[in-house]
Amino acid sequence: MKALLTTVAVVGLLSGPALAEDKIVVEFGYPYSHLFDVTYERILPKFYAENPNIEIKFRATYESYEDGTNTILREAVAGNLPDVTMQGLNRQAILVEKGIARSLEPFIAEEAAFEKDGYHKAMLDLGTFENQVYGLPFSVSLPVGYYNMDVLKAGGIDKLPQTWDEVVAACETMQANGVRNPVFWGWNITGNWFLQALMWTQEKPTVEGTKVSLDSAEALTSLETMKKIFRGCEMQNLEWKAALSSFSAGEIGMMFWSTSALGAVERSQGDFELKTGPFPGIEGTPKGLPAGGNSAMLVSTSEDPAELEAAWKWLKFITSGEGAADVARTTGYMPPNKAANEIILADFYQQNPNKQTAVDQLPLLREWQAYPGDNGLAITQVIYDGIEGIVVGDHDDMTELQEELSEEVGDLLN
Amino acid sequence: MPRSFAHIWFVAPAVVLMIVILIAPILVAATLSFTDYSLGNTTADWIGWKNYDRIVSRSSFQKMFVATFTYVAVVVPLAVGLGLGAALLINSLQRFGDFYKTIYFLPVMAALLAMAIVWEFTLHPTVGLVNETLAMSCGTALEAIPFFAQGCARNFPLWLGDKDYAIWTVAFIGVWQGFGFNMVLYLAGLTSVPRELYHAAEMDGARSGWERFRLVTWPMLGPTTVFVVTITCIRSFQVFDTVEAFYPQGGGPSKSVYVMMFAIFEKGIQQNLMGLGSAVTIIFLVFVLFLTLIQRWLIERRVHYA
Repeated sequence: MKALLTTVAVVGLLSGPALAEDKIVVEFGYPYSHLFDVTYERILPKFYAENPNIEIKFRATYESYEDGTNTILREAVAGNLPDVTMQGLNRQAILVEKGIARSLEPFIAEEAAFEKDGYHKAMLDLGTFENQVYGLPFSVSLPVGYYNMDVLKAGGIDKLPQTWDEVVAACETMQANGVRNPVFWGWNITGNWFLQALMWTQEKPTVEGTKVSLDSAEALTSLETMKKIFRGCEMQNLEWKAALSSFSAGEIGMMFWSTSALGAVERSQGDFELKTGPFPGIEGTPKGLPAGGNSAMLVSTSEDPAELEAAWKWLKFITSGEGAADVARTTGYMPPNKAANEIILADFYQQNPNKQTAVDQLPLLREWQAYPGDNGLAITQVIYDGIEGIVVGDHDDMTELQEELSEEVGDLLN
Repeated sequence: MPRSFAHIWFVAPAVVLMIVILIAPILVAATLSFTDYSLGNTTADWIGWKNYDRIVSRSSFQKMFVATFTYVAVVVPLAVGLGLGAALLINSLQRFGDFYKTIYFLPVMAALLAMAIVWEFTLHPTVGLVNETLAMSCGTALEAIPFFAQGCARNFPLWLGDKDYAIWTVAFIGVWQGFGFNMVLYLAGLTSVPRELYHAAEMDGARSGWERFRLVTWPMLGPTTVFVVTITCIRSFQVFDTVEAFYPQGGGPSKSVYVMMFAIFEKGIQQNLMGLGSAVTIIFLVFVLFLTLIQRWLIERRVHYA
């Protein structure tokens, strides 16, 4: 037994440093494989060409942003954190609060021309806590409308709707003309994003300080708007992946979703004309819209400067220059980086007008807010359940639902 | 005779293992269920019965009990009944018995999570196989039936997305997946029924197949049935993978498929609320223990062990 252990130890000693000398391994986790697999497949060869001595090891992808945050929290307890992780823009705060994410300031200080690399100030702010940058934005999205022009024409609609009232009116016309499935409205997107979209449309933050503003008049208007869309359009309760595939198959006329899925939808799109349009408003155009997307955070527990340097190189590569440009090329996301947006992608948006819609909406960009406290994820779920209740017909009285939700959420905030 | 401690050494490994991997975790969960521990926090507060109070009063947990018991009440009788039926039919075959055995056993062997993805495609509301097949009836005489008329006019049911269908669809998949296993158990049970009993029964006037089943087969299968029902019950209580695959967020439309295992997963793993998750776990354990005890007591009184 002792001999065996010795052998194991010797082999370990021999192979360990030998491997480490060859390549520095950076462990990396990211969400939504159906969106980002293609992106990283394109970035990786370019990164290896520049950094032959670094190896990027991909961990199992996170199913969603919530799953990503939880995985990191669990890994922090278990002590096997990756080096770099991609986290939803609204989930960065919790990792900073719990001391898991590392400040990027020491690395930024060593970069000579960092500001010139052109990170959008507004987007950089999303990852800044107490004047320290913790997360570099990687991909940013906004909600948009996807329109199947063939279905719209068959349904007798030739103008894209600008408000939700027009959407509902369009639904009624289309249904009268035999379109069965006029609309899918992405209420079930991660982090109550669409509720926040309706709130920001009215210039009202969903989270104010430590309070969730569900008891406000704006929240009631948001719920009433949702009810109007769901009932007026007789929207089916589709699971979002099923909805995306139905839309790609050409069965849904209008889909309201994040611009992020544009790449995936175009890849699997059937034979029809696809157009994107700006996210409709309640009265006129929206006054603001929540930023979706994710940012890169350094969560390495390593103290080895070489490893941290390698992790930083990867983090910087994917969020700037060519790496960031590939985000726009492969998905519907916008790169967070002016350099990527304006120089590398100069004529890209002219060739891809559908991807231009979200860029046009950039001035509306607002924060995607997370609910405070340990119960943050539970609150997301409570609101999700409430909205689902409108879709499936459990709730008809929005005032009552509003009271119920504020009460339950208030209970979870204590 | 010198006192020997050998017996302690013989039982010690089993006892130690039982304490370490069974009793201790349950005690830890029981302790956590009285705290508000959240994953990643360094401390937790003792909050007494508050977690249990929430479970009793919140509507989502009431839906959890409804979903769990509906699932168990549907799946257990059907999976046991179909298992027995299939076993009897296969047993009566001269040829092709192995062929049918393989077919019925296939769903048991396949990973339920993988199968759930296949079902998700099959049950897709518009491009899925099920609704495409149903749509073929449009324009035929079948349209006289209200169900088809409605389906043709607008759309056939969203099997997974409609709160009136979701739990039944998931229960159907549970039956589909589970009855093959019961069939194998019953087939084994059937081989142990002595032929002579059938001959004796026939001499005593049990001429019809039903009489022979009622008087000989069913009583002789008693021990098998106890085992089959217990194991199916526990497996039904433990259903999780289909729910997680179909409804990773929220447990189905209007929480109609929010089964206990999924609630534990959602609270403890998805939302990091270890305290609340532990409380559901403890309730789950108490339920399963209670049911198993009742079941053994009820059935064993009437089972004849040959």
